[in-house]
Amino acid sequence: MKNKKPVFFIVLLVALIMTYTAIFGVQIGSFKIKGAPDIRFGIDIRGGVEAAFQAANLDRKPTGKELEAARSVIETRLDNKNILDRDVTIDKDNGYIIVRFPWKSDEKNFDPDNAIAELGETALLTFRDDDGNVLVEGSHVSNSSPELNKQTNKYVVSLSFDEKGTQLFANATQKLVGKNISIYMDKTLIQTAVVNEAIPSGKAEISGNFTYDSAKALSDKINSGALPFSLITKNHNTISPTLGSGSLNVMLDAGIIAFAIICALLMIYYRVPGCVACISLLIQTSGQILALSIPQMTLTLPGIAGVILSIGMGVDANVIVSERINEEIRSGKTVRSAIASGFKGAFSSVFDGNITVLIVGIILLKFGSGALLSFAYTLLTGIFFNFVAGVTASRLMIRSLSEYNALRKPSLYTCFSRRRTL
Amino acid sequence: MINENNMNTTLSVTPTSSKSMHFFNKRYIFFAISLTIMLVGLINLKLFGVQLDIQFKGGAMLKYSFTGDVNAENAADIASDLLGRPVTTQITKDMKTGEQRLVLNIAGNYGVDAKEQVKFDDSLKAKFTDNNLTLAESSMVEPFFGHKFLTNGIIAIVLSFVLVMAYVWFRFKKIGGLSAGVMAIVALIHDVLVVFFTCVVFRIPIGDSFVAVALSIIGYSVNDTIVIYDRIRENHDLHPKLDYETLTDLSISQSITRSLNTNFAVFLSVSLVYIMATLNSLDSIQSFALPMAIGSISGCYSTICIAGPLWVMWQNRKLKKAGSR
Repeated sequence: MKNKKPVFFIVLLVALIMTYTAIFGVQIGSFKIKGAPDIRFGIDIRGGVEAAFQAANLDRKPTGKELEAARSVIETRLDNKNILDRDVTIDKDNGYIIVRFPWKSDEKNFDPDNAIAELGETALLTFRDDDGNVLVEGSHVSNSSPELNKQTNKYVVSLSFDEKGTQLFANATQKLVGKNISIYMDKTLIQTAVVNEAIPSGKAEISGNFTYDSAKALSDKINSGALPFSLITKNHNTISPTLGSGSLNVMLDAGIIAFAIICALLMIYYRVPGCVACISLLIQTSGQILALSIPQMTLTLPGIAGVILSIGMGVDANVIVSERINEEIRSGKTVRSAIASGFKGAFSSVFDGNITVLIVGIILLKFGSGALLSFAYTLLTGIFFNFVAGVTASRLMIRSLSEYNALRKPSLYTCFSRRRTL
Repeated sequence: MINENNMNTTLSVTPTSSKSMHFFNKRYIFFAISLTIMLVGLINLKLFGVQLDIQFKGGAMLKYSFTGDVNAENAADIASDLLGRPVTTQITKDMKTGEQRLVLNIAGNYGVDAKEQVKFDDSLKAKFTDNNLTLAESSMVEPFFGHKFLTNGIIAIVLSFVLVMAYVWFRFKKIGGLSAGVMAIVALIHDVLVVFFTCVVFRIPIGDSFVAVALSIIGYSVNDTIVIYDRIRENHDLHPKLDYETLTDLSISQSITRSLNTNFAVFLSVSLVYIMATLNSLDSIQSFALPMAIGSISGCYSTICIAGPLWVMWQNRKLKKAGSR
């Protein structure tokens, strides 16, 4: 392409669109790009609850299946409390179920320690008839699992009872042919099914429009009735929402002020390359925000350290380039050749600097746990945007600007600083 | 492409040593400064010890906000009675909002079961009915988790040292890869120690954020070091006959504006975070911004004043050895 003049405006437009999207988010019909208002903040920023549950009074490690069942208990109870923005994970190797949830934005009277205590209580699973009479208790379930029915080619939930349960279930189904049988966890109805025939064998099958996932979810819940343990947690943290929102505002204000000052300094000090640097920093910063908000990655305090580090690296890439161009011009080159060799000379150090940070990021991804994972994520996306913005976009913009006669004066590309290092 | 023909022109930079700053000559001053800082840190470490965050050592801590007057000792007694563990209490006051907080530290390196905490919460509120006690923060960590986080944090820091060294060694073979790698690591250890001693001196507990700050500073510092090595490598090609001392001084002088400007930008942003966190008394952010601000200065300093001169000393020694043989 011979004429590079429009390139600057294309990049600028991209930068402005990205910035707008990052700040406000964009909604076109049902299609929504999430921006900064929808960032998921970790509980260290927004306030919330984190708890690791373990089996109480159990002399062996809980099996994977038991943990899954226990998780389904916790998930059901969280559903009941209408806590939908949450994160429940299983640590199979160590037998822990880890629950994290931030405060809802309108939460005022939430009692975190009570909530945590309730989540761990033994689940009471019951099979009841329409009048609410308990027919069989969940402790008599010996196993439940999702299965593929070969004849109908649909997923079903299989269910088998122990000796006592078989008897109770046989009696119940005999009476209830053609009627409903319902499964409750605590006081929550989790499934109602019609009894087709009496089932004396103690082996039943619940069929319906199940996918594998929904069949598994139901069987996990049914298994929880026979869990041989309750859950306790001695490992839990809560941060109140006021404390949380305070830290969020502080970080936001500090970020905006710092960004403004840095941009002002860059423009005064490095002139044309400085202005270009500001635009490329806009791309970098909004890119990082979008990388967090679109896939809804959680941002924690250490994650913010990662953002600061990456933006610092972005400033650095631009500073290195601007310094180089300044040097080349002072050594007597024309603006255009100074730009070319400035970028060329700067590239290797920007590259190496970013690769070492990449190394740190990958290590964190492997060994970081909890809040540190967010750090690794912001670092890795930061490096990506460093190459996109600090290297590529800056280069495109400066080259395009230098095509304008008015912007070809060398003095526009040299530093404000009077000290010549060379 | 009009610019292409300019891409391969050699740089016409010539060293004029009178204009470059002399870092190597002053190296012993720099070493002395760093050693003094380390010594001060060590003395503080010896006197006050290091505070591991509950996150790393396991334990139990509760913070309540309240109004009016609360007898801290009474609260401690209720807590120890109920939990059967010694409890120390402390009352803090927010400088800006005047909000008071009751901090309960429960002895031992294990958490409190959630059900017991509820009982405790109820009886504390029953005792101080007029004080609007609300739980602001609670932290219960089992030693298993603390241990896991601590080891992972240490592994992450040590492993990043090793891999960064290997990378620098590989990329800067031209200027004596091993020496470059080792000196970069010396600078990194310097910076991590500065961050660590900052935490010791300001009694900031070592937790997750320490690991994040240490790794950020490792990232910055090694980036600084690489920028200067990159210059040394380039100048080495341009002026192969230059001795190491002049070469290094020249390279540092050429890139010092960049080092100072970049680090100023980072320092500025982090200090702003620190100042605003202090104004709003947010401990968690303060304890993260302060070591980061100090670490960013150290990262810049260690590269210019420690890694560069040490690298020259190493190269000169090598020359001497080769000469005496």
